[in-house]
Amino acid sequence: MILKRKPWQTILLYVFVVILCIVVLYPYFVMCITALKDNKEMYAIDHIMPNTWRLSNFADIWSAAPIFKYLLNSIIIAGGATLLAILCGIPAAYALARMKFKGKGIFMGAVIVSQMFSPVVLLVGIYRMMVSINLNNTILGLILLNAAFNQAFAIWLLRGTFMGISPEMEQAARIDGCGTVKALVKILLPMAAPGIITTLIFVFINAWNEYTIALTLISTDAFKPITVGINVFYGFNFIQWQYLFATSLFAIIPVVILFLMIEKHLVAGLTSGGVKG
Amino acid sequence: MKKKTLAIRPYVWLLPSVILMVSMILIPIISVFKISFSEVGRSGHIRGLNGIENYLDIFKDRVFWHTLQNTFVWTIVVVGVSTVIGFILAMVLNQRFHGRKFVRAVVIFPWATALVIQSVIWKYIINADYGSLNVFLRKIGLIDGFINWTKTAGSMFGWECWIGIFVTFPFVTFCVLSGLQSIDTALYESSAIDGASFWQRLFKITLPLVSPSLTVSTVLNIIYVFNSFPIVWTISKGAPADQTHTLVTYLYQLSFTDGKGGHAAAVSVIGFVILALCASIYMIISLRREES
Repeated sequence: MILKRKPWQTILLYVFVVILCIVVLYPYFVMCITALKDNKEMYAIDHIMPNTWRLSNFADIWSAAPIFKYLLNSIIIAGGATLLAILCGIPAAYALARMKFKGKGIFMGAVIVSQMFSPVVLLVGIYRMMVSINLNNTILGLILLNAAFNQAFAIWLLRGTFMGISPEMEQAARIDGCGTVKALVKILLPMAAPGIITTLIFVFINAWNEYTIALTLISTDAFKPITVGINVFYGFNFIQWQYLFATSLFAIIPVVILFLMIEKHLVAGLTSGGVKG
Repeated sequence: MKKKTLAIRPYVWLLPSVILMVSMILIPIISVFKISFSEVGRSGHIRGLNGIENYLDIFKDRVFWHTLQNTFVWTIVVVGVSTVIGFILAMVLNQRFHGRKFVRAVVIFPWATALVIQSVIWKYIINADYGSLNVFLRKIGLIDGFINWTKTAGSMFGWECWIGIFVTFPFVTFCVLSGLQSIDTALYESSAIDGASFWQRLFKITLPLVSPSLTVSTVLNIIYVFNSFPIVWTISKGAPADQTHTLVTYLYQLSFTDGKGGHAAAVSVIGFVILALCASIYMIISLRREES
């Protein structure tokens, strides 16, 4: 904003911002220093910082539990869900952005309404269905569910992206003899790349952070994603806080980096979709 | 013939998406409705329809009414406070100051972190015996002995609301920020020449222009927060004495701990109806706005 601030306003602004940063970063600070403490120090109540810095915690977690397997499962689940959501979402978003047909309004309405359901509310039905088609306790089941519950967002974001691109180039390509599919792949998708990447990352993050469905459907240790897997350090009587937080850092850092990359595009996409939709 | 293929073409494009959503969302919805009117054995098999008995049982349950009240408090407090904080923060981040990029990055953290991990950290922070909040406050001399932060159901629920706010406000901030950045600064300059006060500018220029972004963030947040499971489940699992449940943790417990699938389905349907009511209010408001 161009308006000039008075000195006291500037001071107030910095005070606010500094307090905010301290409060927001506090849990992450606690997580980092706790991840570096020795287990014996965990219940020592007189000092904040570790006495001995146990960097080895970060090495120990891999043998203490199948963390690598959990992370790999998370990558497969989130990656698979993202791919499926985008492959189903692109044609649907394209039809909604470029074609006129009966029932378009109803479909848009259904997409918006489907956002209303979190898997948790439907968990009883989801569990029963997955058992009946033998997909409970499988990674494939989680891929399908995560893709479906992110479908609305994917369509929403992609449709907004496609509508922001003028259809003239595709029309020109079609006059030159390109089919609709070829025009979509060759012309529109490259132009829509920023929006598509945003959607990819957003769906990936959602699926990566998903907890409730995985908690309910997966009982075999070898199929657990990291969000459920970290529970191994969180036993009923004995909690390995240092391992729990060391592992959590591995689960958080990639997501924060991805988020920082798309933040600008994502918010623009969400709100413009809302205004137009 | 050609014409006919053209007419069905859009539906072919929608097909993959429709198959995915029908099989994974619509079928469970139908299933939940059906189960809610059925008698379900402890092992989960359906013994047959039993009318509205599940609903009657739920309505007779004192825990359900308390849970319903909690859910409203939870949704209103978390969304309300997050919206106010998020809005103020967006106004601040829209100013030019040193370290603005850093602060924007910091605000991303709570948004990007998995809720379950976020909840576990806070559970450790507020632990009464060795939690780092107690250690920290004692170190700087604010308290002598350790405080039991979650002594009562009310304080437990309060902390859950705090965590909810902590993870929800960044979304508001970024939505509002995108709205603020699209406002023409010339509007502010001319209003400054006219001698408009801060509050006049806020209510006459800023709020009306960011209200679309604010509406989107509020509606989506109501849905997310209402449906939010990991925070309450990690911090308290409804304890003590089922006093801190929200609808989703209550139905989870009914279904997967207590083996009462029919009751859980009935609670699901009730939650679904409440959300549908909210959604229709939103639709009516947005339709009216389009008309005017």
